[in-house]
Amino acid sequence: MILSVASGKGGTGKTTVAVNLALSVGFCQFMDYDVEAPNAAFFLKPDIKHIQKVEMKHPYFLKEVCNACGKCAEFCNFNAVAVAGDEVIFFPELCHGCGGCLLVCPEGAVREKDVEIGKIKKGFSKPGINFYMGDLKPGYMRTISVQAALDKFIEKDILIIIDCPPGTSCPMVFSVKDSDYCILVTEPTPYGLNDLLISIEVLKDMGIPYGVIINRDGIGNDEVENYCRKNNIKILLKIPNDMEVAKYYSRGESMLDYDISWKGKFENILKEIKKDVRK
Amino acid sequence: MKVGISSTGTSLESNVDMRFGRCPYFIIYDTESNDFEHIENQSRQAMGGAGIQAAQMIIDKKVGVVITGNVGPNAHRVLGSANIKIYSGITGTVKDAIEKLKKDEFKETAGPDVPSHFGTG
Repeated sequence: MILSVASGKGGTGKTTVAVNLALSVGFCQFMDYDVEAPNAAFFLKPDIKHIQKVEMKHPYFLKEVCNACGKCAEFCNFNAVAVAGDEVIFFPELCHGCGGCLLVCPEGAVREKDVEIGKIKKGFSKPGINFYMGDLKPGYMRTISVQAALDKFIEKDILIIIDCPPGTSCPMVFSVKDSDYCILVTEPTPYGLNDLLISIEVLKDMGIPYGVIINRDGIGNDEVENYCRKNNIKILLKIPNDMEVAKYYSRGESMLDYDISWKGKFENILKEIKKDVRK
Repeated sequence: MKVGISSTGTSLESNVDMRFGRCPYFIIYDTESNDFEHIENQSRQAMGGAGIQAAQMIIDKKVGVVITGNVGPNAHRVLGSANIKIYSGITGTVKDAIEKLKKDEFKETAGPDVPSHFGTG
């Protein structure tokens, strides 16, 4: 089963939920798909044994062959190539590696080479968690290429927990696409509700079953809860707004470290989810 | 000589826009004929590389001088490679800016004066 943990709003507690669920279940594969800012490793403290490069093709331009006709710059939809005077200027951080500049160059002045855009790190966390994370190279916009590299490591017949990036744009959609169920973590505030509604729309469109966890319960108002009740959306768990939980978090410790009764609560969530999964 | 000015509107009474890559319009002014045209800046909505795309457009229009509020590192590099003079930090109306340029009151901008993504959002 693939279980993703997402939210619209950032900082609602995706990683907190994903990590504590993994620690409660004990045996699973954990995947940090938030490759722009992966942070689950702070809590799961994996013993990273394998690091693998993620590469993509970048063009380079042969000065002696190029006549600065500008066709490459005109073609590039991402503005990664400009032609100024008799010079081609390439901005690698904007390149999507489509190879279009190579195809349109009438002079054959464009070649390609492999460049590193990020890394996949694999390790093991106690008690029995196979840990994977993607780590995008700062400044690059190739989030999904790194996530696609992570996809290849998804195993069968084991619980997969995916810690998604925030938002509801391409990186989130890519992270949840194969999910059998998605947990949406939100906070009971107008901002939390607004982004929850957008996330729900995305998941409905994709046909992925979902339930809600309300984090920092006690702040804000009742609107998230009212909305869920009115629309028959399962509230899987409420995590109270508790300074102690925050203190443990800030030290990279889990909720289980704070209070072992959370283990049972998270195990129960999994039982609830299994009733509603796709397939 | 043609001058490219980042502008908030389509007339000479419009203000010089503080953003280069994401300004709504460029006024292209010819200092010999005193004619001008306005161009809608297509780069404004670009996901990334707005400055680069705008600079490319300026080059294609055979502009020799750019007047703007701020210019970022990528646009500066592209314009510089095409030997286009950049006057940034300019405020007020487009008309005033052209008058000042004609009277040679501007100092050329040596480097980018804002970091990447300055004009975003």
